[in-house]
Formats: sequence, C-alpha cells, structure tokens
Amino acid sequence: MKPSPFHPLQIPLGLVVWSVWFVALYAGLAVACEVARPAPGEGAPLLNVGFGVFTLATAGLLALSASACLRALRREPERPPRDRFVARVGAAVHLIALAATLFIGVPLLGLPPCV
Amino acid sequence: MVAVPALGACAGPQSILDPAGPAACDAAGLWWGMFAVAVVVLLGVTATWIVGMGRRPPTLEDAREKRVVRRWIVLGGVLLPSSCIVVLLVFGIAAGRRMLPLPRAGEAPLRIDVTARQWRWEVRYGGGAALINELRLPAGRPVDVHVQSLDVIHSFWVPRLGGKIDAIPGRTNVVRLQADAAGEYRGQCAEFCGTRHALMVLRVTAMEAGEFAGWLEAASR
Amino acid sequence: MTRPRTPEADRIHADFDEVWGTPPGWRALTVVNHTTIGLRFMLTGIAFFLVGGLFAMLVRAQLALPGLDVLTPELYNQAFTMHGTVMMFLFAVPIMEGLAVYLLPKMLGARDLVYPRLSAFGYWCYLFGGLILMSSVVLGVAPDTGWFMYTPLSSVPHSPGPNPDFWLIGITFAEISAVSAGVELVVAILRTRAPGMSLDRMPLYAWYILVMAMMIVVGFPPLILGSILLELERAADFAFFDVARGGDPVLWQHLFWLFGHPEVYIIFLPAAGIVSTLLPVFAQRPLVAYTPVVLAVLATGFISFALWVHHMFTVGIPQLAQAFFSAASMLVAVPTGVQVFAWLATLWLGRPLWKVPMLWLAGFLFVFVAGGLTGVMLALVPFNWQVHDTQFVVAHLHYVLVGGMFFPLVAGVYYWLPHFSGRMPSARLGRYGFWLVFVGFNLTFLVMHWTGLLGMPRRVYTYEEGLGWDLPNLVSSIGSFVMAIGVATVLIDIALHFRFGRRATANPWHADTLEWATSLPPGPYNFASLPQIDSRHPLWERDGLADEIAHGRHGLPGIAHGRRETWGVEPLSGRVREIIHLPGNTLLPFVVAVLLAVVCIGLLAKIYLLAVAFALAATAGVLRWSWENGAHPCAAPDATTPPDHPPLHSRTRDGPGLWGMNLTLLANGALYLSLLFSWFYLWTVAPAWQIPASGAARGGGLLLASTVLLTVASFALRQIVLRLARGIGAGAVGGFVAITALGLASAGLLGYALLDPRLAPTATAHDALVVFILGYSLFHCALAALATALQVGRLRAGYVGAGMPYELLVVARLWYYAAAVGWSSYAALVLFPAAWGAA
Repeated sequence: MKPSPFHPLQIPLGLVVWSVWFVALYAGLAVACEVARPAPGEGAPLLNVGFGVFTLATAGLLALSASACLRALRREPERPPRDRFVARVGAAVHLIALAATLFIGVPLLGLPPCV
Repeated sequence: MVAVPALGACAGPQSILDPAGPAACDAAGLWWGMFAVAVVVLLGVTATWIVGMGRRPPTLEDAREKRVVRRWIVLGGVLLPSSCIVVLLVFGIAAGRRMLPLPRAGEAPLRIDVTARQWRWEVRYGGGAALINELRLPAGRPVDVHVQSLDVIHSFWVPRLGGKIDAIPGRTNVVRLQADAAGEYRGQCAEFCGTRHALMVLRVTAMEAGEFAGWLEAASR
Repeated sequence: MTRPRTPEADRIHADFDEVWGTPPGWRALTVVNHTTIGLRFMLTGIAFFLVGGLFAMLVRAQLALPGLDVLTPELYNQAFTMHGTVMMFLFAVPIMEGLAVYLLPKMLGARDLVYPRLSAFGYWCYLFGGLILMSSVVLGVAPDTGWFMYTPLSSVPHSPGPNPDFWLIGITFAEISAVSAGVELVVAILRTRAPGMSLDRMPLYAWYILVMAMMIVVGFPPLILGSILLELERAADFAFFDVARGGDPVLWQHLFWLFGHPEVYIIFLPAAGIVSTLLPVFAQRPLVAYTPVVLAVLATGFISFALWVHHMFTVGIPQLAQAFFSAASMLVAVPTGVQVFAWLATLWLGRPLWKVPMLWLAGFLFVFVAGGLTGVMLALVPFNWQVHDTQFVVAHLHYVLVGGMFFPLVAGVYYWLPHFSGRMPSARLGRYGFWLVFVGFNLTFLVMHWTGLLGMPRRVYTYEEGLGWDLPNLVSSIGSFVMAIGVATVLIDIALHFRFGRRATANPWHADTLEWATSLPPGPYNFASLPQIDSRHPLWERDGLADEIAHGRHGLPGIAHGRRETWGVEPLSGRVREIIHLPGNTLLPFVVAVLLAVVCIGLLAKIYLLAVAFALAATAGVLRWSWENGAHPCAAPDATTPPDHPPLHSRTRDGPGLWGMNLTLLANGALYLSLLFSWFYLWTVAPAWQIPASGAARGGGLLLASTVLLTVASFALRQIVLRLARGIGAGAVGGFVAITALGLASAGLLGYALLDPRLAPTATAHDALVVFILGYSLFHCALAALATALQVGRLRAGYVGAGMPYELLVVARLWYYAAAVGWSSYAALVLFPAAWGAA
C-alpha cells in the first residue's frame, strides 16, 4: 500500500522515518557495543561500515519518497492549492530528513564505534 | 561587547583559556575559532535588522520579490548555517578523536584511579600510593584517569589540562589528560553533588618525570 | 468596548451572553471558557515568575562576592533548584500555553477550545500543583537537588527529607495541565478552524502551536514516567535507579533529558510564533517564505527530540554515539537560520515601525541569536567537555530562554494588551522598561560566559578569591538587579495602562489575523457569527469583516437552541463537517482537581489511605463528568439542526473526542515506550544488571491469558459498536456488561500475577520493572472496564445508543490500546528475555 502524495500524513512522514532511523542507529550502536565490543583501536571498523550502509539505505528511501511527491506534483497540476501545498511540504520534509540523515551519519566516517 | 576589555584576562588557575595540555589546547583553539565566527554572525544579523528597520523600500513586483526572498532564505537561512556546522563538525570530530583514551604508540599512559565521594577525591596509583584531594602526575606524559564514585554523581575536571568526565556509581569512566609542563593546577567537582559541592576542590601538581618517579616510589612504600 | 453599538448588534450580544456569559462571585470557579482560562493561566504564570525571579535574586546576591554568607549552602541549593523549577514548569510552559489557549480559537475563527472542561481542569491542576510545590518553601523543605533531580543525589540515602517528593509530586500534578493543553490545542487546530481556512491558510502562530503541542504530547510523558519511577523508588523502595540492585542512575538522566531538551523548544516555538505574528504587522507586509517557515518549524520539532544526549556528553557514552547527537544539535541551527532570515527579509522588504513590541523583538533577535550561536558551540563534543556544567552554560541557557521566550512574550503581551484591557499601552514607560531589561540582562549574562570560561562551575554556593571570578560575578549580580528593576518597570507600565491607557480602536495595530475581529476586550463567545475564510490575511483583505461578524451575517448566528456551538471542520481543507456543541460552565473540573490535590497531599504526608480514598472520589468525579455528554440534558438532548446544516458532532462517528482520545493514547504510548526503553536499557547497559532466578515468575502466562481476554473483548466491542452505528441496538446492553466482565477478569489475572511472592520489586530493578509493567497493564484493563461500565448506564439512559455510537467509538480505542499494551508487554517481558538468553 503506497500513501498518496497528497495525503496530509505526508507532511510529517519523512521526519518520522528519520526519527526511526535515528533511534535504530543509537540503540543499535549501544546493543552492538554490548554484544560484540571491538577492542579499542582495532583496525577494521566493521560496525561503522554496517551502520553506514544502513544510513545510506535510509537516505535512499527518503530520496525515493521525495521524488514520488515531486513527480505527483508535476503529474497532477490541476489539484487544488491545499493538496499541492501538502505534496510540496511533504517532498520538502523528505528532503530535509534526507539531509539530516546524511549529516548525522558523517561521524561514522571519523570515529571508532565503542570508545 | 562588554567582555572585550576582559580579553587580556584569560589567565586563571582554572581557566579554560589558559590551557596547559594538548586536550585543553584543542578545546581553547576551538573556542577562539568559534568565537570569531559567532561575533561576525551576531553583529551581521543585528546590523541587518537595524538597517532593515530604517528602510522604506518600494513595493516590488511579485516575481522580483520572490527572487529576493529566495536569495535571503537560501543564502542566509540554509547555506550560512549549513556551511558553518559542516566545518565545525569536521574540526570537532578530529579534535574529539585526539582526546579519546585510545592505545597509542610509544610510552603507555600512566593510570591513575580517582574515586569521588561526598565531598572529597581519593587518588590511587598502581604501586599503592594514595592521596586525598591531591593529584600528582608526571609532566609531558599522558595520564589516563579512571574515575569512579562511591555515592552520588560527581564530575572530575582539571580545566587547564582537559575536559571533564562524570564519576557515576557503578561505572568507571576514563579521561586522558596531559600536563605539558610542571606546575600547580586546580580541579573542582563539576556535577552538583550536594551541600558542599562548591568545596570539592582538587589540587593538581605536575612534576618533572624524574621527580615524579622518585615521589611515586617513595609514596608506594 | 469596541463593539459596534447598533441595536441589532446589541441584541445579538445579549442573546449570546445569556448562553456564554461568565458568572461572577464563587461561581467564577465554574467557568470553562478559554478566554477566562487563558487569562488565569497567564496571571498565575506571572505570579510564579515573580517568585522564580526572587529566587534568582537570592542566588545572585549570594554570588556577588567571594565567600559571602547571604544564604547557607542548604538554602542556596533550594534557591537555585526552585528558580529553575519554577521558571521552567510554572512560568515558561504554562504562560505560553495560556497565551495559546487564549488566542488560538480567536485566530482560527472558533468560539472556544474543543474541551472547555479539560482546559479548566488543566488550569486547576497547574495552580494546585504549583501551590503544593510552593508550600515546600514555606515549610522549609523545598527541593534542593537541582531542577534536574539527578539520582542518586535525589534518592532516599542522600536526600532523606521530603524535599524531592514535593518536586516529584507537585510537578507531575502540574504537568497534567501541560499534557491536557497539548492534546486540546492539537485537536482545536486541526478540527475547529473557520470554514475555508485550509492548512496552507492557517496563521503561522497556529503552525507553531501545533508543533509545540504535539511535542508536549510526546515529550512530557518520559518525565512523567521518570517522576513516577523515582517517587516509587523513594516511597516504596523499588529499585529502578540503584546500581547495587541492577538499576542505573543514568537511566534517570535519559528519561529526564528525553523530556528536557524538547522542553526548550516547547518554550521557544510558541515564542517564535509570536515573532512571526507580530513582525509582519509592524513591517506592514506579510511574512515572506510561509512554506519554508512551516518546514523549519516542523523540522525543529522533530530534530529537537534527537538532542537529549547533548546534556549528557560527560557521562561516558561512546564518542561516536555522542557525535550523532552533536551533529543533530548543530543541525537545528539550519531551521532556526531559515526563520531568522525570513524575519530579516520581511523587515527588509517591508516598511517597519518602531513600536514598543518591535523594540522587544529587536532585543529578542540579538539575545536569541547570541544564545543560538553558543548553543552550536556547546553541541561540539570536545568543547562541551570543557564548558559543560560551568557558568558558560548558565549564560547560554539564559540567552536562549530569556532571549527566545521572555523577550517575545513581553512583545506579545504589549501587542495583545488591547485585547486584555481594551486599552493601548504607553509608549514611554515601555521603552524605559525595555532598555533596563536589555542592558541588565546583557550585563548579567554576557559577562557570565567569561566567568564560565575562567572555569567557574555551576551550582556552587560560593567561591574563593583569586580565581579571577570576583569581578565578573559582581558585574553579573549588579546586572541582575538592573534587570529586576526593568521587569518591575514593565509590570508597572502594564498595571498603569489598565487605568490610564488610551481606549483602543478596532484593530488598533492594523493586524491581519482574526483575533482582531472580536470586540476589545472580546466576549466569551469571540464571534457572534463565524466567517468563511479565503486568504491568509483575512483582515487585510476584507474591510468591514468585524462588523459583519458582530451583526450575525456569517455562519452559526443563532443561539435560540441554548447550546454553545462552533464549527467542526476537515483538518486539511477546512470544509465544514459538523457542529461541535460545547459544555457550559460546571464545577466538576474544579472539584476533581481539588480531590486530586488531596491525593497528592496524602502521598506527600504518606497517609496512603487518604490518598486512595480521594483517588476513588476523583474517579467518581471524572465519571460524572463523562456522564454529561451526548444526549444528556446538560449536553445536546435535541439533535435537530437547521436543514442546510451538518449534524451535531455527538451524532457523528468522528467527533473531536475521538481525536482527543487518539492523542491522549499517543501521549500514553510515549509513556509506555519510555517504560519499554527503560526495560531494554537496563538489560543492555545497567552496570550490575541482575536477573532473579524466578524470571518473570508466573506473570508470563497470566499476562498472556489477560491479553487474550482483552483482545476478544476488543473485537466483541467493535462488533457491537458497528451494529449500533447501523442503528441496531438489540443486545448492546448485555454485550457491554459481558465486555466489562472480561475487562475485570483480565485485570484480576494481572492482579493475581502481581501477588506472586517471588516478585521482589525492592530487591532488583528487574522485578521492579516487571511489577510496574504488569501494574500498568492492570490499570488499563481496569480503566477500560470502568469506562465500559459507565456506558452501560448511558445506554440505558439513552444518552448513547443506536444511531449515536460516537462515545462508544471513543471508549473502544481504550480497549485496543490496552490489548496492544498487553501484547507488547508480553513480547518484552517473556519473549525478549528468552531470545536474549538464547543469543
């Protein structure tokens, strides 16, 4: 089931996805460090790679959803302004969430996971 | 800026701006960089407001106005803060990484155990030496302070040497400090811990390596 | 009063006053109207502000010079704790809510908020909770462990006195008002706008309050849970935060800051809403970039939930995890930047006027931007490790909160004064007040950044000479007294204007929003008729709108039916969907709040029998309250509406009550999720986590059985309600009785599980949480059963029934929720430990 790009719930949806990603990232890191703590200073930061892939996947999902909203806007120009407002805001929120995901993912590139 | 005349007065026994070790130096460096940018932004924004208040511009046609607004929002609202925080995060990650107590090449860091309790510091060394409300360390060598608490939460902090770390019941937290030169420093509990929180002070002495080794041996006996 | 004085308008006003009027004398306790309640919130908030300010003066007096003895350390600790607590919980949040309660229906073109009785109830809880907290000061046992109440300092071994109990119980009681206002404001914004006011035509203030109210709904429950857990630990020795028994004091910090950081934005967003409302009026043009500002507000609302760990950067969390929060904290600079530049661009393109409110907005801009910049600095982990818990943070937070909340608030108060009094503020005294506050504030807190950088920690009652802190502290103390004189000037100005202010003309600032279409001051019903809206700036685009409204030329002009009514609309389009009828004045909210206050006093005095007795009485009061709905004579016994009008909401299947229930359950769900978070958190990171040999004891099987019963009951209830909706009433009463019995049975099963002697909540945190989770489920079974039992009576009395199943739909949500809680508790308590053990 795909939500309509003009449904009001589109407005917060992107940031809801972002919140879930953020909680999963933080909780996942805590659990991973508890279950499989790598020795400090160990070379291959497997955990970073794993969380990095997860981050990119989330970002991809957000990008797809944003483009779905944008395409719907182009496809149905005759919608009333309030519907177009919803789709426009929805697309933008997805893009904001995308930027937030990528930015918050940056530390994965530079810091060891469990110290 | 009322604070500007005070710029010369950065020194002080507990001053963050009078760093005496690598971690504290990093933090102070970050401060001066951020301070400079912040002053420029604050003055710029305030000046724009004041100038804007005095303007009596003609009404623009819609398309033109839209372009002007877009420029303000995109350049000022999005790009200005975004570029600042990207730069800041990159510097921050690098500085933060340097402060981590990671294993290092060369001389291993000295381990010192500090136990906090209402309202004093108990300092122990590997050989059995112990001090109360006083910490001695060798100058020029990194020290890993292992911090614990026996009652409530305290926070171990010697500002001129580096950042603080909380002493929490049930946990041992580690902070890496280093004093570049021998001298007297001052530390103080930074987490509110009850009635005499304000008096929970730690005297810190950095000694020349040889002098320290001698003291430690004597004290361990 | 600036009402058009024509015979026709006078007659309409007299008719409306008959139904909507606010009675004098003792019956003022019965008033539920949002205008009165909003004013009461604000006046009470100002009173608490003065008290909080007094504590601040004590703190600054003690710190003026090194080694002073103005206060003993014990009193100093009480003073700074109470300053923070009062300012945050009893001033900043309630006064912003009060303003929103007062303004929103007027801005949205409605006659009242959707749950007037709840508004009144919230106010009384706030007042009584605040008074309970204040009584601790009089009794000399004020909380003294910081407004953040960190355990173990606030646990019995280190705080044996009742001080923390006053905080935990008083504040939790007062928070009822925050959550209830949060729920009510969301529903009001989504469902009671003027016809035609689609989401994209809503005043920006409504967007700000919508986000702020949603944040309250999700953000306050973690603290409420934390307070309940801590009070249980203190009163009944449950082991939630005690390391030796498998708890963790850091869990408290998580729960506290999960609330505490969103709280900052809960305070800031409504203030920013004031800025976005006033600034266009004084710039004499619409705010630019409506949609980007809406986006910025939404983004702020979400991102602010991912910042809480930045208050905990020194507790020893891995640096990578800290860095996520660090990045998120910096990220809020972007939506804030968008708003700041939208305001600047509006000024740039407009023709701004330097009226007194604009002076306060300029002050806001400078102070708040400075606070935001130091906020970004604090988000940087390596710098934070140095300045955390120093005077630098004290300076920063005052820049953000005073700048981001107090300055816009004063601007707003000046702006809306004609609304409260019908008179205009003075220009001169207001300017003196501003400059005194602005100079005093910066003198106090700009210097305090420096004090912090020189290494002075927070919350110290004294300091030695020779650390370089003497001069900056003296300057700060002098500044704080200048600021206090400024605040006094402002208050005197406002007080004088009630007597000497020039009479306000209609729409005195030439504003664009609907609240200026009421008379000044407004009648309790706001509008004699409800207009259709077709733009974002109705008063700029339609001259004479206020007159037409007063002459009953728009929607719902008649009052002959004797009901308080307003439109119910579709959330997105603003198309009219039903007529919402609102309850009139009643003493019930006051009575229930008084009963709950006695419950709190019973808990504080540890007279538990008293507490239980009054809790039962309060429950009875709430049931009575719920009884007077639907077709009850006090509500809407006669459902007929004019031929071209939609039905009354109580005769539909989707009234505001359903939305309110959903939001309440969302708040409740946030509390439950925080509970599950606590459970999983302790499993993974508590330093000395212990799993007793008994495991969850016999709780698992009984929980499963009870949940199955709940699920069956939920399905059965749904079937009956659907039949009622189709007009089939046969068997409904019997069915409801059976469902009530199922609910009681499942509560009984859980009660039996809790009686298991192997469960030892005082021995391990594990068992303490098991008991709490089972107790939580039991409470919801009992609640659902009770609500259903009440509906049996109402079915019999004909207040609900065939063709009007509305309230039963609302009750059904409770069952679904209880069943969902049962299943997820089973997964958490039984399935998860098995999987964890197997891993």
